[in-house]
Amino acid sequence: MADGSGWQPPRPCEAYRAEWKLCRSARHFLHHYYVHGERPACEQWQRDLASCRDWEERRNAEAQQSLCESERARVRAARKHILVWAPRQSPPPDWHLPLPQEKDE
Amino acid sequence: MAGAPDERRRGPAAGEQLQQQHVSCQVFPERLAQGNPQQGFFSSFFTSNQKCQLRLLKTLETNPYVKLLLDAMKHSGCAVNKDRHFSCEDCNGNVSGGFDASTSQPPKVLGLQVRATAPHLLKGLKDTSDLKCIVLCQNNIHNQAHMNRVVTHELIHAFDHCRAHVDWFTNIRHLACSEVRAANLSGDCSLVNEIFRLHFGLKQHHQTCVRDRATLSILAVRNISKEVAKKAVDEVFESCFNDHEPFGRIPHNKTYARYAHRDFENRDRYYSNI
Repeated sequence: MADGSGWQPPRPCEAYRAEWKLCRSARHFLHHYYVHGERPACEQWQRDLASCRDWEERRNAEAQQSLCESERARVRAARKHILVWAPRQSPPPDWHLPLPQEKDE
Repeated sequence: MAGAPDERRRGPAAGEQLQQQHVSCQVFPERLAQGNPQQGFFSSFFTSNQKCQLRLLKTLETNPYVKLLLDAMKHSGCAVNKDRHFSCEDCNGNVSGGFDASTSQPPKVLGLQVRATAPHLLKGLKDTSDLKCIVLCQNNIHNQAHMNRVVTHELIHAFDHCRAHVDWFTNIRHLACSEVRAANLSGDCSLVNEIFRLHFGLKQHHQTCVRDRATLSILAVRNISKEVAKKAVDEVFESCFNDHEPFGRIPHNKTYARYAHRDFENRDRYYSNI
C-alpha cells in the first residue's frame, strides 16, 4: 500500500457504487443463486464505498486502511486456488506471426 | 478445445466438438472459393463464409467479453490478428469451432493434414509451424450471439495457452481445466442457454452444466471413457472453476464483462494502491 500523498483508492468511488448497485440487483441475485446456490453478500461493497467517500472528503487514514484490507482480502480470495498448470514467464515462442508487411518477402 | 454446440441442437455428445488434433488451420480453397450459398432471404446476399467473416468482425470490434480477452492476450504478449488467427470454414458434424494449439512441430507430425493449396493463409508465414488458429464453423454458427460465445470460448483456450504451459495433448487434467474455464466464463452455461437445451435447474445448476459440458468437450477430442473424463473434471474443478482470469469474476452478461474490462484497464492503479 502506498502511503503519503501519492495514495488514492484502488478504484474510483463510482466503481464501488456501481458494484454495490449491481450486487443488490435482482438479476445478480438470480445469477449468484444459479451459480452458488445462495444469496450474494453485498455489505462489503457498501463499506468500501463509504470508506472511499470518507477518504475523498476527509482523507481519513482509517478509511484508507479499511479499503486496502478489503481489496487485499479480495485478491487473496481470488488467488487461493492451486494452479493446475505452471505459468509461463514469456509467451509461447511460436505464437508470433510475421507482420502483414512481411507477406511479400 | 471445444466449440460450443448450437443451443438449438440436441443430440449425441460424441462428435459435438471439434477434434483439435485433427483440425487443420488451413481452409481448402475449393470450399472457400465459392462458399456455399444457402436458400433464404438474407442468405441470397451473402455466402456462409461472408456471413461468418462479418459476424466475426462485429464480435471482435464490439463484444465486451472478446475485447477484454484480446486486451489480456496482448498484454501477455500474444496479440491476436483476425486474419492470422481466425479461420471460417465448413465443419463436419454438430460443432461450432475449435482451437488448434499446434506446437512448433509442423502440423503433419501431429497427424494433421496439411494442404499447401491455401496460399491466402500461408502467405506471410515463414513455415507451417507458425500456424495458430481458431476455427469457426461457418455452417454451424447461425447468429451473432452464437458467434460471440464461440469466439469467447476459443479465446479462453488461447489465453490459457498464452499464459501457461498447458499440455493439451498428453495431460488430461490440463485439457479438463481449460474446458471448465471456457464453459464457466464464456456464457455457455447461462441460465437462458441451458433452458434452450431443455436442461432445467436453478440452484447451483451452473456448476452442473460446467461439469457436463467440460466432460463432453474432453470426450470429443480424446479417445477415453466417460468415467475417465469425468474424473479429470472432478479433480480440477475446484481450482479451475474458481480461476476467473482475465475476467476476475464470472461474466454473466455484457454488463459484467464491461465491468471486468474496466477493472482490467484499471489494474495498474489497483495494484499500486493496495
